[in-house]
Amino acid sequence: MDVMSTGVIAYFVVIASRFGIFTPILSDVEDIKYADPVPQAVILTAIVIGFSIQALMLVGAMKLAQDNPTLETVEIEKNNTP
Amino acid sequence: MSIFTVVWITLPFFVGFLIFLLPKFDRYLALMVGISSAIFAGLIFLEEAPLTLIWLDNFGVSLKIDQLSGFFILTNALVTMAVIFYCWPTDKTAFFYGQSIILHGSVNATFICEDFISLYVALEVLSIASFLLIAYPRNDRQIWVGLRYLFVSNTAMLFYLVGAVLVYQTHHSFNFAGLDKSPPEAFALIFLGLLVKGGIFVAGLWLPLTHSESESPVSALLSGVVVKAGIFPLLRCALLLPNIEPMVRLFGVATALLGVFFAVLEKDSKRMLAFHTVSQLGFILAAPSVGGFYALTHGLVKSSLFLLAGKLPSRNFKELKHTPLDTRVWLALVLASFSISGFPLLAGFGAKVLTMKNLLPWQVIGLNIAAVGTAISFAKFIFLPRGGEKQSLNMGFWWAIFLLIGGLLAANLFYYQAYTLTNTIKPLLTIALGWLAYHLIFQHLAIKLPRFLEQFDHLIGTMSLILLLLFGLVLI
Repeated sequence: MDVMSTGVIAYFVVIASRFGIFTPILSDVEDIKYADPVPQAVILTAIVIGFSIQALMLVGAMKLAQDNPTLETVEIEKNNTP
Repeated sequence: MSIFTVVWITLPFFVGFLIFLLPKFDRYLALMVGISSAIFAGLIFLEEAPLTLIWLDNFGVSLKIDQLSGFFILTNALVTMAVIFYCWPTDKTAFFYGQSIILHGSVNATFICEDFISLYVALEVLSIASFLLIAYPRNDRQIWVGLRYLFVSNTAMLFYLVGAVLVYQTHHSFNFAGLDKSPPEAFALIFLGLLVKGGIFVAGLWLPLTHSESESPVSALLSGVVVKAGIFPLLRCALLLPNIEPMVRLFGVATALLGVFFAVLEKDSKRMLAFHTVSQLGFILAAPSVGGFYALTHGLVKSSLFLLAGKLPSRNFKELKHTPLDTRVWLALVLASFSISGFPLLAGFGAKVLTMKNLLPWQVIGLNIAAVGTAISFAKFIFLPRGGEKQSLNMGFWWAIFLLIGGLLAANLFYYQAYTLTNTIKPLLTIALGWLAYHLIFQHLAIKLPRFLEQFDHLIGTMSLILLLLFGLVLI
């Protein structure tokens, strides 16, 4: 899960910096190739959400690990489906 | 109206947190939010033109409120109120009410937003809230079902995010309309996310286990409104962009058939209802322009059925056949089943007629088969024995059922033009055919379908297959 979401975050950053890597801050210098701030702002939200979901899943996994120490999904699924 | 919208959309989240601070007033606060949504939906119906709000230029949040959102919001309001009534006399804690109100708010948010990022945030809040509700009893099974749900939906949403940034790359805006000229991969990724979230076709096979293993009020919420949060953006895109519409219709028919196929052969009442949700979502997608009304009737029926199924003495149809039900429960069950099979005098009839009228010629056969299948699967409920001893049922339960079934009767008036002779005969024939098939064939059938498609690994694998399928469909 973490690996996947890191991949997506990296992709957003790549898209943002395709046309330049400078921080978009107002200054006197003209015609610098700015990085696009919008995808970065958006992915910040996604990072926070992804983090909170991972925390939740970890709690669930820890609770399950008490009875299924190996955490094999196949075994857990077998025990828990009607 | 725009100030009012902002207040209304933030109210559930505010109240959701307030409930934790004032646990004594949890039920009243939760009910207040439900009523406010119902009033808001009423205001939308009075408003003539759709309302569009855009904040912070074209990068920012854009909302669109029209009749279609009105139907969905009304569904959400009624179902939430019914669930609160149902839980009123029970010893549910403030946590339950708080979470269900936050869930209510995030579902409302998905019904009005018109850009991909607000939708993403709303959908993620929704999956966290529903995970907490599913896993609340804290036994192993519920935690596993909840984890499975969270994992599947989060993976789907990651695909969706990649799609969203591709749309941004072409248009420098996250608006739904941007999907039009975006590259095909953006389209395939976003649709994959929404299909999984909405429980459509093979991608939606996580849904039966999740909905059937949760507690009854939670299943009612999940099946009544939460899946519709994935459906609504699909409808919105289909109505906005004509070149997407045929694909949505195709998925609608495929889902209706798949869901009904499983539902007919299912022997467990709650699983049957869950599979049937999958098939009804197909009906909603099959005719996007009138999907709102169908969603309203389905939400009311399905939540009342889940609440009733929680009160039945057993979940297995075979055992239910030998234990006569309380006549009052049986009556409510039959009314709801009649509505969903499309029997005249109940709202399901109007919705079915309206959907059938808006179909394209190639869809008609598929959906008619699905309608017969619906009649067959609900014959299982209708032909249960009645006249058993009286169950002790509290007032909250009856309030909930009255609200939902009363909503069905009232919604019937919305499309009263449906009552012509030909329109009335066709559903009656369909139902008769379904019952005949049930008595002659399906009652005695004992086929147990393999469940390997519902296994966790396969769910994730199917996602990539659907992605390929979508990509192929776009390229053709």
